Amino acid sequence: MTVVSDVKQCLASLKGVEASLSNLVERTQDNESKQILHETMMVVSEIVADLKKRVGELENEEYQYKGY
Amino acid sequence: MPEWLDVVVRSVLFVIFLFFVTKALGKKQIAQLSLFEYITGITIGSIAGESIMGLDGNIFLGVLGIGIVAFIPFLGGLISLKSKKFRDFTEGKGTIFIKDGKVLEDNLKKERYTVDEMLGLLRNKDIFQVSDVEYAVLEATGDLSVMLKKENQPLTPKDLNMKVASIKEPQTVIMDGKILDEPLATIGHSRGWLKTELEKLGVTIENVFIGQVNSYGELTVDVFDDKLQVPSPQERPLMLSTMKKCQADLELFALATEDKDAKQLFEKNSEKLQKAIDQVTYILKS
Repeated sequence: MTVVSDVKQCLASLKGVEASLSNLVERTQDNESKQILHETMMVVSEIVADLKKRVGELENEEYQYKGY
Repeated sequence: MPEWLDVVVRSVLFVIFLFFVTKALGKKQIAQLSLFEYITGITIGSIAGESIMGLDGNIFLGVLGIGIVAFIPFLGGLISLKSKKFRDFTEGKGTIFIKDGKVLEDNLKKERYTVDEMLGLLRNKDIFQVSDVEYAVLEATGDLSVMLKKENQPLTPKDLNMKVASIKEPQTVIMDGKILDEPLATIGHSRGWLKTELEKLGVTIENVFIGQVNSYGELTVDVFDDKLQVPSPQERPLMLSTMKKCQADLELFALATEDKDAKQLFEKNSEKLQKAIDQVTYILKS
């Protein structure tokens, strides 16, 4: 059991959410909902960036799990 | 010309003529009759009947009569658009029946309404107890408009301080198995998109009776085959639960890791995600 694979899994899920949110923003007709969904998408993408950095660090520590 | 043929010609002529006269007088004529419209309605009808059956009379006298009777309310309508006083006179004013929760007996008498009739009007509005009413007006059209006391009014999201997602009207894009291009273009989608969405639901276009797209761009359909179960859109609730799961994961990572920097990073991001979740929950849950 390793943390890297868990973090990677979480990262993948969040990327999925980011993509779905961006899709939903495009399709939503109501402007207010659109804006809030967009803000949420930005937050999620910030988290994705942070997690990516962390995954990079973990990969350096545990070399055998390198590769995505 | 035989008499019966004369009647046929006159009838057809007057039906067409009356159709256009009524159309010109406007929607108000059918929706709610004001005093003027009530008078015109009766008079036009009887003039038309008289002209059709009165074979010795001249048709054009009938047409002239109807024209004049229709023109007066038309003129009256134009004046009442400008003048409030004239409007009050011709269309009447509302009479207050209940004010501050108390029945105004004098006004009831003035309109010649009995208590039974007023109770009946209230019951039409699903109100059985007079004490539930704060304010009620008998409109000029004979309808009773009622404002309930605040505690008897239906509960709204505003009362609960609840946030609800504002929505736009849904567009009907499929009717009777045929794609409607205009509404589809209004929401900015193509036929190709619609076909993909139908494939996702696992139905063919011929089998769809009604298909509507809501303000989130989700397609819902009613199919001809009533035994067929069509899945409802799950994308938004799924998104919310994935976000919740990720948030829980991040908290878990923060607890599990021993690296101080990493712990801080996970904690920060889990809080951020929690905030984001709180912010969109009302949109994503449905």
